Amino acid sequence: MSTNGCNDEAMATNRSGAQRPNGAPQTKVCQFKLVLLGESAVGKSSLVLRFVKGQFHEYQESTIGAAFLTQTLCLDDTTVKFEIWDTAGQERYHSLAPMYYRGAQAAIVVYDITNQDTFGRAKNWVKELQRQASPSIVIALAGNKSDMAAKRMVEFDEAQAYADENGLLFMETSAKTAMNVNDIFLAIANKLPKSESGGGSAAGGARRLADGDQPRTSTCCK
Amino acid sequence: MNEEALLARASEERERIFQRYERGRENLVGQIDPWEDPEFEDYHKTDRYGFIHDERLPRKTAPQKINVEVEREKKWVKMLASWDSPATKEKLHRRIYKGIPNSLRIKIWCKLLDVNRIKSDNPGKYQEMLKLAKIWSTDVRQIDSDVNRQFREHQFYRERYSEKQCSLFNVLCAYSMYNTEVGYCQGMSGLAGVLLMYMDEEDAFWALAILLSEKKYNMHGLYIEGFPKLTRFLEHHDKILTKFMPKLKFHFDKYGLDAILYSLKWYFVCFVERVPFSLCLRVWDIFLHDGERVITAMAYTILKLHKKAIMKLNDMDLIVNYIQVKLHKDFGYEDDIVIYNLERSMEELKRAKLDYPGLPPPNELPKRQLGVFIEPDKKSKIGQRAESFSDTEKHARATVILRREKAAVELQELRVSQSDTVSEHSTVAGVRCEDSLSVLGSRRSLADTSVTSTADLSVFSSGRSHAPENSLDTHSNISDDATGSDGSGICGLSIQRAMSTPRQTVHSTPRGSPHPSSVSPTSEDVVRIHVTYSPLAASPSHLRPVSPSKYKSYDVQKPTSLGFYATNGSTNTENTIRIQVPSEELLTPIVDSGRIITQRYIESHSGIYDIK
Repeated sequence: MSTNGCNDEAMATNRSGAQRPNGAPQTKVCQFKLVLLGESAVGKSSLVLRFVKGQFHEYQESTIGAAFLTQTLCLDDTTVKFEIWDTAGQERYHSLAPMYYRGAQAAIVVYDITNQDTFGRAKNWVKELQRQASPSIVIALAGNKSDMAAKRMVEFDEAQAYADENGLLFMETSAKTAMNVNDIFLAIANKLPKSESGGGSAAGGARRLADGDQPRTSTCCK
Repeated sequence: MNEEALLARASEERERIFQRYERGRENLVGQIDPWEDPEFEDYHKTDRYGFIHDERLPRKTAPQKINVEVEREKKWVKMLASWDSPATKEKLHRRIYKGIPNSLRIKIWCKLLDVNRIKSDNPGKYQEMLKLAKIWSTDVRQIDSDVNRQFREHQFYRERYSEKQCSLFNVLCAYSMYNTEVGYCQGMSGLAGVLLMYMDEEDAFWALAILLSEKKYNMHGLYIEGFPKLTRFLEHHDKILTKFMPKLKFHFDKYGLDAILYSLKWYFVCFVERVPFSLCLRVWDIFLHDGERVITAMAYTILKLHKKAIMKLNDMDLIVNYIQVKLHKDFGYEDDIVIYNLERSMEELKRAKLDYPGLPPPNELPKRQLGVFIEPDKKSKIGQRAESFSDTEKHARATVILRREKAAVELQELRVSQSDTVSEHSTVAGVRCEDSLSVLGSRRSLADTSVTSTADLSVFSSGRSHAPENSLDTHSNISDDATGSDGSGICGLSIQRAMSTPRQTVHSTPRGSPHPSSVSPTSEDVVRIHVTYSPLAASPSHLRPVSPSKYKSYDVQKPTSLGFYATNGSTNTENTIRIQVPSEELLTPIVDSGRIITQRYIESHSGIYDIK
């Protein structure tokens, strides 16, 4: 639907902020659409599950189509709400991916450090995003399963060099041990522009603002 | 790596994977990665903090239920003996809807699918396909990775390389050779996984083959490149929603929720992991008997039964979570009741000629002869991805995007044209508005009556998370919520935001205005509530309903159930307004100057809200 983002105007009409009896001081609420892409079974859903629910399942069921989740992060002066699209990895579902990364402000392209092919596939995803997605999209590369370093097939330096060349954020993550999972989302949140205004003025704007009224306080650092 | 090396590597990988399944669990001692073979605890669960919870199932199967099942088994056994008789035909429908006894599913499902016929028509075919798969299948890696995570919490599948895991792997690999247009598509492991709970390997293979290519089920079109059948069925699903539940459709559109997001698994795996397994099996029973229209009707039934709850969720995240996660854990209705409703839905859709989206167009049907070997091309052998999308894929993508855009445009038009109400709009659109809220009758506002109090409206929110925000921005509610009745509404209470600067009244505000900024209140935390002053209502025992002047079609017998009481000057607290919401869930309109600002269900039972 519409693009969204930070909207200071939004705050003027934010109906909850000032009216909440226990209202915390107003912080800017920003919403960003984030999409996860990558080869099947590299751990996309596991990263999201770890980030959103703090859980890990060894046998995370395969994602059919796509899954949608949200999570809110608190930065110093801003609350960032991620609308996360977790996509299916099988090539058959590739044709649906553009509808998820369309209008996304951020993407995490995931590969499995124990599988060189998944890294090649990640590069293709990056290429596709650079060509097809919004030009300002923030892309992070996640080398997942870093807990299985004994079986490593993709060197850290190789991936880092690739990320630097392409202006990507890069971290090796482990959904299993939670290593760098919050960090990569946080790094994205920090890199996303939060001052642009008017992003939410399109058709879905009102809805987005209304959504922003309900930050998940439980996951919000106060 | 050159092409040859890549080919060699791919076939080596395939052989390695196959070998492991052939050897099976017993012969892989010490060779299974711990991460592939998580330990399972039969009766306990560990939460995220490390606490172990005892989550044993309650021993609650009522003895009479078991008796019923035993009685049914007897009848079914008898019926099985004369399966092709006219008597069976006559009884079958009714009995299927009552549910097949679990112990007999193994036989009945094979009967319903006519597995034996296709099996005896194709002797040796399954083994042949399996052998071919070992040499040629290009889907082995994907199948392996999905077998590793399919139904791992089920006894059959919990151990890596267990017998059933191996069967699942074999069935899917063999099928990927049998039907090369489909090969393997994620989702099929769920389908085959359920079949294998009730069938042996070869029967499950043929059952899968029937589900994909028999015209009663036609699942082939779901799984092939571009998912043409999914697109067609989702469009039909939207059509049903538009006709029977326009408000819900509006609600989904408002949050940008395309049906593909919440219902994909309904179509792809026939509700597996989307409704509780016991209910899922009941739907499968009927699906195997009546075919693909059951999916359409069940999708409609789920939304119909949960419409109210979904309408209360004001966030895409919450809606998706409700439909996909909550309903899987707890459907909220007994299986029998759901099935009863499913049957009614099927009749209802049939009357409206919406039970079936029509015969599949040729692009949804297998083009190649099934079970005939075709050597895969080099690219798929290596596992190389296509560089660009095929026309079918482009079409599929465009269709979904177009559908979203169309919905967005319609939403926009609706908001603009919504000069007064939605039901008006619905009439214009020729839509029967079954879930319209116009049952609420009288038009009356008490905006100018005597008691004025200022309050924080969050009192309304008790037990509900999103209500207060919505109720406060009158304008965006009018434009956002499709909740108007025909310009009328029960009143009893009206709410105005206290303004320190003059502003337009609700009457003169353009309804379609999508810009909330234009209604920005200057003093946001003060809300004025006007309630009739009622000197008689001095104490709760003298609670007096603020009666509307007339009732249109609302329950005239019980006017008290309408809701608001004024007890100004009650014994305990001066200047307190007590609002009592009666026990049944009812729709509570908030009215300003004769117009409904918002209507919502209040969940709490007999909630009493004191406003100071």
